[in-house]
Amino acid sequence: MVMIRAIVRPEKAMDVMTALLYAGFPAVTKTDVFGRGKQRGIKIGEIVYDELPKELLILVVPDKDKQLVVDTIMKAARTGAKGAYGDGKIFVTPVEEAYTISSGVKDTD
Amino acid sequence: MKEIWAIIRIDKVNQTKRALVAAGFPSLTARKCAGRGKGNVEYLIRPTAGAEQYEEASHPAEKGPKLMPKRIMMLVVPDALKDKAVQAIMSANQTGRPGDGKIFVMPVLDAIRIRTGETGDTAVDEHQQPQGTSL
Repeated sequence: MVMIRAIVRPEKAMDVMTALLYAGFPAVTKTDVFGRGKQRGIKIGEIVYDELPKELLILVVPDKDKQLVVDTIMKAARTGAKGAYGDGKIFVTPVEEAYTISSGVKDTD
Repeated sequence: MKEIWAIIRIDKVNQTKRALVAAGFPSLTARKCAGRGKGNVEYLIRPTAGAEQYEEASHPAEKGPKLMPKRIMMLVVPDALKDKAVQAIMSANQTGRPGDGKIFVMPVLDAIRIRTGETGDTAVDEHQQPQGTSL
């Protein structure tokens, strides 16, 4: 299994979650985060905003679905045809075990 | 070392903390989140509890499962104690109904205690620490 963490624009979070639902991945956890990227935030006039609000979406999926989920998020989270600075990042990390608490069962893939 | 993420019900947070302290894992990080699972959630206590807190819970465009407020607990434990921590979280949270949550176990490459600079398992070994206040 792999954990996919996607940091997306807050206004795109619901679009991404709807796209994931239709792609067959209903299970998502969402939380508010603040951060900056390699552009070092945004400068509007004299003021630099270096901690921009984003949403962090967390999914754990089988290895074989990794590319499908990444493509789905990428397509839904992009601004405009080519994308823009600030659209976010996707990180993929390994997960060794997963348990469903209600049944106590260890999930296999 | 392993990182354990438990996504649990908000009303089970205190029971989980107590169970983890009893099992010897006092240190953890927690944060609020919203999430949905595979399917229907049973609304047993207050049917509108989720809708009041999260706008998305009643989002008209969303046809699928609703987002429910949850809590993530994150802790890093030595390899040998992984099963003990999972069991402690499981026993505190299991009600048998959908919505109890998930536990994920992930590998951690290294851990460093900032105060002393210790690395590896010694940095996450809570048993060598002086006893703090009990919960």
